[in-house]
This record gives sequence, C-alpha cells and structure tokens, in this order.
Amino acid sequence: MWDVFDQTEVAGKDYTQKFDEYQKLHPDITIEHDVMTYSQLQQKAVVAGQAQEGPDVLHMLGEWVPDFVKMGILSNLTEPMKSWADFDKFPTSAWQVATIDGKIYGVPITASTRVLLYRSDLFDKYGIQVPTTWTEMRQAAKQLTVDLHNDGHANEYGMGWCSATTAVRGPQEFAVLLWSTGASLVKQEGGKWVPGFMVDQAKAVYQLYYDMMFVDHSLPPSSIGWEWQQLDPALQTGEVAMEQNGAWMSGRAAQADSGKYWKTAPFPYDKVPGVIKFAKHKAQAVDLLKWLFGLNNMVYLAGSDNLPSRLDSEQSKYWVADPVWKSTFLHTVKDGHAMPPIPFAPALKYTMDDLQEVFYQRMTPAQAAQDFYNKVASYLDSSVNNQ
Amino acid sequence: MKRQDSGSYLYFLPLFLFIALIYLYPFVSAVSLSLHDVNYLSPGKHRFVGLGNFVKLLRDPLFSPALVHTIVFTLGSVVFEYLAGLSSALVLNSPFVKMRNLSKALVLLPWAVPIAINSLIWQFMLSPGFGFIDQFLNLLGFHALAQQTWLTNLPLVMPTVVAVNVWRSFPFYTIVLTAGLATIPRELYEAAEVDGAGRFSRFWHITLPGIRHVSAVIVSFHLIWTFTNFDVIYLLTGGGPLHTSEVLPTLLYHQASVRFDMGYASAIGVFLLVALSLTAGPLYSRLNR
Repeated sequence: MWDVFDQTEVAGKDYTQKFDEYQKLHPDITIEHDVMTYSQLQQKAVVAGQAQEGPDVLHMLGEWVPDFVKMGILSNLTEPMKSWADFDKFPTSAWQVATIDGKIYGVPITASTRVLLYRSDLFDKYGIQVPTTWTEMRQAAKQLTVDLHNDGHANEYGMGWCSATTAVRGPQEFAVLLWSTGASLVKQEGGKWVPGFMVDQAKAVYQLYYDMMFVDHSLPPSSIGWEWQQLDPALQTGEVAMEQNGAWMSGRAAQADSGKYWKTAPFPYDKVPGVIKFAKHKAQAVDLLKWLFGLNNMVYLAGSDNLPSRLDSEQSKYWVADPVWKSTFLHTVKDGHAMPPIPFAPALKYTMDDLQEVFYQRMTPAQAAQDFYNKVASYLDSSVNNQ
Repeated sequence: MKRQDSGSYLYFLPLFLFIALIYLYPFVSAVSLSLHDVNYLSPGKHRFVGLGNFVKLLRDPLFSPALVHTIVFTLGSVVFEYLAGLSSALVLNSPFVKMRNLSKALVLLPWAVPIAINSLIWQFMLSPGFGFIDQFLNLLGFHALAQQTWLTNLPLVMPTVVAVNVWRSFPFYTIVLTAGLATIPRELYEAAEVDGAGRFSRFWHITLPGIRHVSAVIVSFHLIWTFTNFDVIYLLTGGGPLHTSEVLPTLLYHQASVRFDMGYASAIGVFLLVALSLTAGPLYSRLNR
C-alpha cells in the first residue's frame, strides 16, 4: 500500500497498528506500507501506472481519481463495493468522489467538508454574530478589521483567502464559494462537458474577493499570494479572524495557543484509497479495504485529525462527540459537493490565475469571470470532450 | 602488442554500456516523446506529430515571457554569483583572514543546506511584516522598505528570486575560486610589486588570468544549472504571480505534472537542451581560450 500516513504521527501509528491486527487475523497476508508525501505519491502512481506496475492499494486525493481512471491505473471496484454490506453506510456525496462514469474506483474514507473557521475570542471581543450569508460575512469581516495602534494600518483583519500561483487550497476555497451560488464547476449537456456555472455566478465570487480586498479592506494587503502555510498561522496569531478550513485543523487547534478559541460553522472535499488495476492481489486488497473501513476501524483511523465519511460513525465505540470539530462537519456531509468526475486540475489553476488578475487589478471581477468561463469552456472542449 | 591494446578497450565496454543506458535512454526517449502527441490522460491515443509540439511551443503565449525570464534569471544569477564568489574568495585568500578553514566552512553553509529547505526558509524570511528581512530593515531604520511584499510585488519578484539563488549558489564559486587562487604562484605577485604594479593592476593582469580556466568551467556549469533550475523558483513563487517569474522549467513541470501532456513537456525539455548546446558549449570554448 502506498499512502501518506507518516509513522511518526498519530495517523501513521494508527494505520500501522491496524495493519498488524489484520496480519494477525490473516497470517497469509503481508502488508508492505510505503509512506510518502502527496506530491511524491501522485508522481509515483503516474509513473508506475505507465509501466503497468504499482502497489495493490493506493491512497489518493479525490481530485486525482478522474486523472487516474483516464490513465487506466485504477481497478473497477463497482461490484465488490456495491455488494459490501456497509455500502449504504456512506453518503452518496462521498461515493461520488470515487465514482467516474457510474463505476466505483475506491472507498471515500474521510469526509473533509469545508467550514467557516473563526476566532470566537475576537467575535466576542467586538460583539459580532457568526455570519450565515456572504453579506453578513463581509459585514463581520469589516467589523473585525481593526487598527490597534491608530497608525493608519490595520493589525487585525476580518478574513483571509489563499491566492498563490501554486495554491492547493485556493481553488478549493473558490469552488466552495462558487457552489454556494448554486453553481457547479462543470456539467454534462448533450453528451459534452460544459461549464456548470454562468459568468454572473463566477463574477459574484470574484466580486466578493475584490470587495473584501479593495472596498472593505478586510483582507490583509500582504495576503495576495498566500497559501495555507501563511493563512493558517495568520488565524493562529489573530492577524485574520476567519478562514475556510477543514476538520484536520482540530489537531492544530490542540497545539495552538489560541486553539481553544477556534470555532466552526459548513462544505465537502474527500480522500480515497483505490486498488491499482495492475494489482497482483486485487481480491485481498478489496478485503483489506472493507476491513479497514468497516465502522469501528474507520472511526478509529479517522479519529486523530479527520472526519470519517460513514453516516453511522456516531454508533462506533470509538466515536467521541465533539461539537466544534465533528458535529458541524458531519452535518454537512450529506449535502456535500465533490470535485468534477473528469480531469480538472488545469482548469482549477485558472481560478487562481484569474483571482490574481483581480487582486492586481488588471481585470475587473466581470472580466475575470468571463475569462475564467472561457478558459474552462476551452479546456473542456480541447482536453475532455475531444479525448 | 597491438592486439593487447585493442583487447583492453573491452574492459571499458560494461562502463560504456552502463553510461549509454543511463544517459542515452532518457535523451532518446525525451526526443521521441517531443515528436509525439502523448498525454497520459489519453492512453492508447499517442500519435506522431513531427515538429507539432515545437510549433505549439512557439505559439504558446507563455513561451516568450518564460524564455525572457529564464535568460534574466540565468544571467542575473550567474553574474552576481560570480562577483560574490570572487569577492569572498579574495577575502578568504588574503593573509589577514585567520581560521581560514572555519571561515570556508561557514561560507559554504548556504550551499550545503538542501534547496527545498533553503527556499522554504527564505519564503518565511521574506514574509511581509514579520519576516526576518522586513524586521531587519526596520531595525536599520528603512521602515518604508520593510513594508515590501517581496514575492508578490510584481517588479520585485524576479530580483528577489535571483537574490535568493545568488545567496544559495555563490559559496560554491567561493570554494572553487579559492582553490584557483591558491594555484597562482606567489612569485608573480612579488615580481609585479617590485616592478611597481598597483593592487588593481596585479588583480587585472595576474589574478584574473590565473583563474580564467577555473572561472570558465564554473561559469559554464552554472549557466547550464541555472538555465534548467526548477526548484528555487517553483518553491518560492511557483512561477507567479501572474507568470512574472515563470521560467521554462516551471512551464515544463506544469505541462508534465498538471496536464500530463508529456509530448509537449518533452518538447520544452528538448528546446532547453538545444538552446544550451548552442550557447553554453561555444561560450565555454571562448572563455577557456
């Protein structure tokens, strides 16, 4: 199995413990567990796939699944998954991440929904209610932007976003905002993939970024070009009071001085282990996945810093109730959105290219939205519909 | 005797085959890929397109800026690396410097730190407001300068990236040039001093010619390494913002790792190889004359 669970961390130790348990139950099985970073994992999987080699089981980010299916790397697991007694215990939105053209290629093991993560101490300090709409969010961000030293420069800002060229989280934040306008990233129309949003919906998103930066001044001016490495510490230090984030922040909250003040209010994004098409032990790999992601083992494995994707998670003996880091996320899983079931990484990069055009004021939000729409349509025509 | 000589070449055969395998295979494979439409997202649909990928490259709106940025990054880095390396080598070579080996080891530190760690450290050091650079500038009283967003202020992006690369690479020049300086006979300086030659004259007529060959080697190598350098820029800026630091290697990476368009990515690689063959080789011969 290739995965990212470093054995020096809790998740890695938990996986190793479960592998040991499985090997005791099945003495004829030996699990080789290779750990690497996400980028190494993606590149190794692509290269191994081209050589028609690789591990039996591969841990994946949800957005890799369409690429790997197109490359012919993954096994079709529709039959073993649908016949699994636990199949219905996962929400449809979770299975969507692992489903391409009606076929299932993996088990959605975590439900990484996205929520509004905010500093409750700053909200209390300025007497602000948790926002539920964009208008309220802008208003709250403005009120949370404060010039503490009265020198004409704000020291605390209401909000922070990612906008780096190589940002991973930035396109996810954009997608969540676009989904919240009622749009999709893509949709199928007459057998072809086309943009699932209207220019006006993309414009609303770019306008929100623009207004917060240049009208409300509620984003740090230096935040242009931030990725999560800059954004998360800014929340920790109180430089920003709100951001969009996931359940994995519970682990960081436990380590941060200000962690006890981090509160959450909803969206989904997932991770998937699949079986390699060229797997030498396909049946054993499927058995291992079913065992690992049965109720108790899944909740145990996702316990350290993530949210299990099963709907019956609360019935597990390992479930620990947590209103901040579990309940908010769990209640959003059923209505979650998944990234498109087609190779979409190049188009996601356009979200940040056009956001930078807005932040550097080289395009208006309307121009950026039109440009984004045109690029997505052109990408879908040339790289998806024509393949 | 003759038979013995020709037989001895056979001993080189395994080494030759090994080198041919590890050098020739990737080269031939890259050239072959560059002539084909190969996208890993469309397995089984690979086809020969001749020079199609190169035509696509010339028409790519990102190609010209990326080529210009690559040249600016390369020349800027190599010129300042050489100047910094030569200056520090001259200082280390002077009789006034004590604990020379320790000094050399300290100078070598930035080069010894892995590039990825180096770049990440610099990213934090350049963070606007709380980064070390801005704090240091504040301490010196340059408050206006300390508000800079070094990696996102468009006119400052490339100079900042070059500066980080120079900081990382110049120690290698220092060490090589220090070794080169040590080979210049002391008698030449003594004779020149007796003849009344000044410091600049001795530097111009003895030191520089004395390190010409070693300079040719190190400058040529660094032209090649910097022209194809990917990690420093990618880790600092990812080629952005708005492609202001996009260089050909980051363009290649994007095509290969995000779009999986291996044919087009290989064409960029082959272009880099041809461009370097046409410039670095002749430049080395000229410098080494």
